[in-house]
Amino acid sequence: MSGPRTQAAAAVPLPAGLAVLAGLALVPLAGDYWTDQFARYLLFGLFAMSLSLVWGRAGILCFGQAMFFGLGGYIMAVITMGMAGEWLASSYLGLAVAVAGAALFAGLLGYFLFWGRGLSGPYLAIVTLAIAFILEQSINSWYALGAANGLSGVPPLDLGAFGLSYELWEPAPRFYVLLGIVAVVYVALDRLVASPFGVVLTAVKTNPERAAHFGYQVLWIRLAAFVVGAALAGLAGALFVATDEFASPTLIGFGLSTEVLIWVALGGKEVVLAAFLAAIGVRLVEGVFGELLGDYWILALGLVFMASVVLFPRGLIATALARLPGRRR
Amino acid sequence: MADLAAILLNSLSYVLVLILVALGLVIVFGMMGVINMAHGELFMLGAYTVVAVERTGAPFWAGVLAAPVVVGLVGLVIEWALVRHIYRRTLDTILATWGLSIALKQAVVLVFGPASYSVTAPLQASLTIGDFVYPAYRLLLMAVAVALIALTFLVFLRTDFGLQARAVIARPDTAAGLGIDTRRMYRLSFTIGTAVAGLAGALVAPLISVDPQMGLGYLIPAFLSILVGGAGPLAGVLVGGGVVGGTDSLLTIWLSPVVAQIAVFALAILVIRLRPEGVLGSRR
Repeated sequence: MSGPRTQAAAAVPLPAGLAVLAGLALVPLAGDYWTDQFARYLLFGLFAMSLSLVWGRAGILCFGQAMFFGLGGYIMAVITMGMAGEWLASSYLGLAVAVAGAALFAGLLGYFLFWGRGLSGPYLAIVTLAIAFILEQSINSWYALGAANGLSGVPPLDLGAFGLSYELWEPAPRFYVLLGIVAVVYVALDRLVASPFGVVLTAVKTNPERAAHFGYQVLWIRLAAFVVGAALAGLAGALFVATDEFASPTLIGFGLSTEVLIWVALGGKEVVLAAFLAAIGVRLVEGVFGELLGDYWILALGLVFMASVVLFPRGLIATALARLPGRRR
Repeated sequence: MADLAAILLNSLSYVLVLILVALGLVIVFGMMGVINMAHGELFMLGAYTVVAVERTGAPFWAGVLAAPVVVGLVGLVIEWALVRHIYRRTLDTILATWGLSIALKQAVVLVFGPASYSVTAPLQASLTIGDFVYPAYRLLLMAVAVALIALTFLVFLRTDFGLQARAVIARPDTAAGLGIDTRRMYRLSFTIGTAVAGLAGALVAPLISVDPQMGLGYLIPAFLSILVGGAGPLAGVLVGGGVVGGTDSLLTIWLSPVVAQIAVFALAILVIRLRPEGVLGSRR
């Protein structure tokens, strides 16, 4: 589970990762339909990256990562729809408050969960699962936020400045803007993982007692990873709501929380790029074969996931990457 | 007064069912370090067994008898095909059994459709004492549940099998060294746990709507009960189930069911956070 192998599998060279992202830039050639679909896949990929940081790198098995995705999404919807005041309706402000709100919530929740002899492992999984359940139920019956119907008519991203408005609703430009954001986040995460802080994260994950013994503040290191992950999930959620023009309780709860867990586990939780690609891959397969397979799709996904956890605990894509020819194993 | 008695009895029946579901979970967790996220779906399969048996025209009780057998067999297959490969990889068991739970849920949707079924209670009679009227089936359910819980405790506390099982829970390696076939203990315990969940699902079927999502509604409270009571001693389940189930049904007197559930979950999380070893567990 740990040791040098963790490091070896984690090291997808940055240029290779960027090449993969550059390859995605060809998607708009496939037409508007797929461009729009891939815009959403990209954001699910971004969301998966956030969990990869929290779970794969910091060892916090969070069964409720969609809390932050949904929170970011709802904040974005409320602000850009002018529900908090017409004069506040700005995409920039929406994104900023969504990211900050998700981070703040994660900070408070994380402190509650990790302080003292903090929760970890299965306890943490079950408690975060229950919290996601609570949040979904609350939003479901919160009438000011549309309750179970959600909030429809969320305006698209408006990248205007100096009084000019530039609404981002055409598929190709929107896709490239989102791809740019994803690329920036990917590079930042890659640098973070490779930085001294990333090494400390691995230390805290592998052996918290020893890390504490060396003088590291385990609580604050865990909290930092949790908060950064939540901020990224909030960003993904905010962008998703602006792309989908719809915020619904399914974004915040239990269902999406476990879906992202499946993507990240399937891809390989320790490898940010693998988690990203798995999210896109699962969504793509669902988009292509979902209609063909109908109800059998979910059955197959459940079984494949089960088999993958047993046979490839490090993830399908990460295992494949580690076995690429010319790489040390 | 009569209202209060009905509320207390409803609350008690919920608590007893919760304990039945949690018992299977805690045995499997304590013994093999397996967190079975598909336990709620096994409970669901028990209820659907009753639906399937009733479809053939057989009486309700035939379904109740069939449920633990069918679900126990499913448990045996799950143990053989999945769980034995991931003993002691606790976090992986959460994920793998989660995949299993998705697959089971979807299999039920494929066979029975996504809509909910209702099962009519076999006993339509009610118990009447003065102005207090209570459905007889619920009383019967409680009696059966109490008997089952007592039986489970008897098996684990008073039989040779139970002694061996507790030995495996406490010190798996030493137990194996003393000649206990731990593989067989694991298989048996897992099967017993799933059979009890199936039976619980079958018994509850007339009281709730039987649908593919019903498992989750019991899984989370059951887990919270275990953690609140303490995962170590078996008796922790009784306390945890009583606290979680009891608070939930008592709060519904004043609050809507949704708010009551939210409040109970929040309270349980608080208890778990402040006493991770559970109410009954000893401080490490």
